[in-house]
Amino acid sequence: MPIAVSSTRALADVGHLVRFRAGSLRRRRLSAGAMVGFVVVSLAVAVLPGLFPDAGADDGWALDLLLLLPTMLTGFLALAIVSATASGGGRELIARDPGSIHPISPTTDHLGALLLVPLNIAWLLQAWTLVGVTSYALGTDAALPQAQLIVVLWLLATTAVAQVVAWTIEVVRRVRHGIAWVRGIGVALLGVAVALHLTANLVPVFDRLPTRWFVVGMVSDSAPRTALTAVVLLVAFLAATALGAVPAHLAAHRPPRDEQDVETGHYAARGRPRSELTALVRTDRASVWRAVPMRRGVAVLALAPGLVALAGGLPWEQLTILPGLVGSGGALLWGVNAWCLDGRGGLWRESLPVPPGVVFDARAYVLAEFLLVASLVTVALGAVRAGVPSVAELTALLCTVVVVTVQVVAAGLRWSEQRPFAVDLRSARATPAPPVVMVGYSARLALSTTLTGLTFSVLARVPEWQVSVLVAVPFLAWSTARLLRTRRLWVDPVARARVVTAVAV
Amino acid sequence: MLTRPKLSGGSTLFAVSFGRVGKDGVVSPPLPPMVDVRGLHVRFGEVEAVAGIDLQAYAGQATALLGRNGAGKSTTMRVLAGVVPPSAGTVLVAGHDVRTETLRAKQAVGYCPDVGGLVPRATPWEHLQLSARLRRMDDWETPARDLLERFELGDVAHRVTAGFSHGMGRRLSVILAALHAPDVLLLDEPFDGVDPIGVEATFDVISDARARGACVLVSTHLRELAVQACTTVSVLRGGSAVATVPSGEMAGEEGARAYRGLLD
Repeated sequence: MPIAVSSTRALADVGHLVRFRAGSLRRRRLSAGAMVGFVVVSLAVAVLPGLFPDAGADDGWALDLLLLLPTMLTGFLALAIVSATASGGGRELIARDPGSIHPISPTTDHLGALLLVPLNIAWLLQAWTLVGVTSYALGTDAALPQAQLIVVLWLLATTAVAQVVAWTIEVVRRVRHGIAWVRGIGVALLGVAVALHLTANLVPVFDRLPTRWFVVGMVSDSAPRTALTAVVLLVAFLAATALGAVPAHLAAHRPPRDEQDVETGHYAARGRPRSELTALVRTDRASVWRAVPMRRGVAVLALAPGLVALAGGLPWEQLTILPGLVGSGGALLWGVNAWCLDGRGGLWRESLPVPPGVVFDARAYVLAEFLLVASLVTVALGAVRAGVPSVAELTALLCTVVVVTVQVVAAGLRWSEQRPFAVDLRSARATPAPPVVMVGYSARLALSTTLTGLTFSVLARVPEWQVSVLVAVPFLAWSTARLLRTRRLWVDPVARARVVTAVAV
Repeated sequence: MLTRPKLSGGSTLFAVSFGRVGKDGVVSPPLPPMVDVRGLHVRFGEVEAVAGIDLQAYAGQATALLGRNGAGKSTTMRVLAGVVPPSAGTVLVAGHDVRTETLRAKQAVGYCPDVGGLVPRATPWEHLQLSARLRRMDDWETPARDLLERFELGDVAHRVTAGFSHGMGRRLSVILAALHAPDVLLLDEPFDGVDPIGVEATFDVISDARARGACVLVSTHLRELAVQACTTVSVLRGGSAVATVPSGEMAGEEGARAYRGLLD
């Protein structure tokens, strides 16, 4: 089929799939409200920081942020690549199994994944940050509109480029020894970054990033220069969008090796579990740690923020932000729809003679453990260059980890009970809930955990360590009360049957 | 005491309903049913999935539940397994009320669900181990291995079930239901997509269960297999039981016509 015809058809199919997904939305008014909210927040972020008193000044924060813009643009590209790669080429407009009966081409799949990228809170927050920083850096300067146009084009172009890179990496992962190759390349890149840092060359490299050319285009008085920058980005966006279909096709024709490894691997029998709880925890742990999206996701979540903290040399009081970030991300891998772990086995599990409270305890324990592992790895990495902490700093950080974990477990299990979805978390591209729902969950988690992190960041500066503990108590009491309320609901057979039958469809 | 000198086609049904027939043709007082469902209603919001089913099934008997899609077969099985609570009516399983003595009822039941029924990233052995642990079984490994071999799943006992074919999954679900030799064996669509060897093994499981005095309920769309495996057939329509007859009456062309007549 000619490429032009194929692309046209793929675009039309994306439209069909979007309409299909939109038609299945249960809370249409809420979704429409969220869309309006997105536009309003985006406009506010693009305009309001520029109205601050020191915005656009030739010195101070405004100048610092302008000088940092090239690095931030590169950082956005890196984030987009990591995010798309971790999710095996991006999210799906329609899940693999239900989609398999339709003639959905890899090009359609690629375009759909691209369309869904903004429904990722990490992408969204970074995008808003770039837009807001640009606004503050330029103030009410006449160049602000053209600069924001360039930023938007940068977001589009880098997202499309990231998609090409992600599909390409996915192709490599699917060839013989491909997983080893990808891991090797990742370690090599990490080694280069560490070497640059140890030889004090990291900052000079940042200063020489080619993204400076785009920042110059943003603020240039020369209309042709700005126009050239915009055209380059637009061409890059269109070219990457078209090019992405090639590795998407190549990946689609190869089976995912990591899934095959999990499904054909031999798992040795273990001894008799000591208690009912141990038996259930063991089963739940297997469901989590043998799932490709969970393993990839938690590796990225644990390592990426930790490495950024390590590179940036974050002080102890700022490390309190990280557990919230990692905890929220971890819950978004499966914790917001925790009962889907059992899949169609939920009906059989529910027929086993065990008190439902024990089943709930096991699931909560495994979720908390999953989040704690990721948070502690991140904090450990961040702590490497943070020096020796004071007792108050260490207490504040530990309180953050505990509070955020209980907060996220409580929220995740509450949502799992309220809105269960039948999801197969087999593929790296699978998410525990539909994309629009995931945006809502991620925004709420990001807000609550960031506020918690900021609270303890302030408390880390208070010399008396007891203050952090005292403040942690009401946080923990609130989250524990919500967790126990969810547990009571789960113990109710009618509520539980609704969840079990929904996830086991 | 009731006597009935001539019992032919309807003998099993008669005996099941009214009493046991001795060698001398004397009907002794009936055993209490192992599964006793009276006026069962199950509602999901506005939808009434089961609308007043009455059903009794007895030890040593196998009862097939037949009916069209949406007749309420699987929902009834889920209620009996303690997975879905009844909205109204009484349901006794092995003498335990599923609403108030749920755990005891679950202890007595072995359940093969209609869909999947397997945790995707656990191995068959891990499924069996979990079931055995929660049922406090000590000597479970030998019968587990035996069942796995009978259903030709011994080679994949330590592979996760996500990679299983549909038929393999069905076979494992039957094994999980049968492992603890339950008093009540509930098999929902056990023959769906299963090869002849798996069907034979399932027949054996049903026969063994009946021989040791268990009550077996089989929900299926495959009438001929139901007739072969079961002693009694209950036909459900629109969420209610419309007939309960000896399985022989549902056999062959005549049985097919009778069955179609009950569905319309």
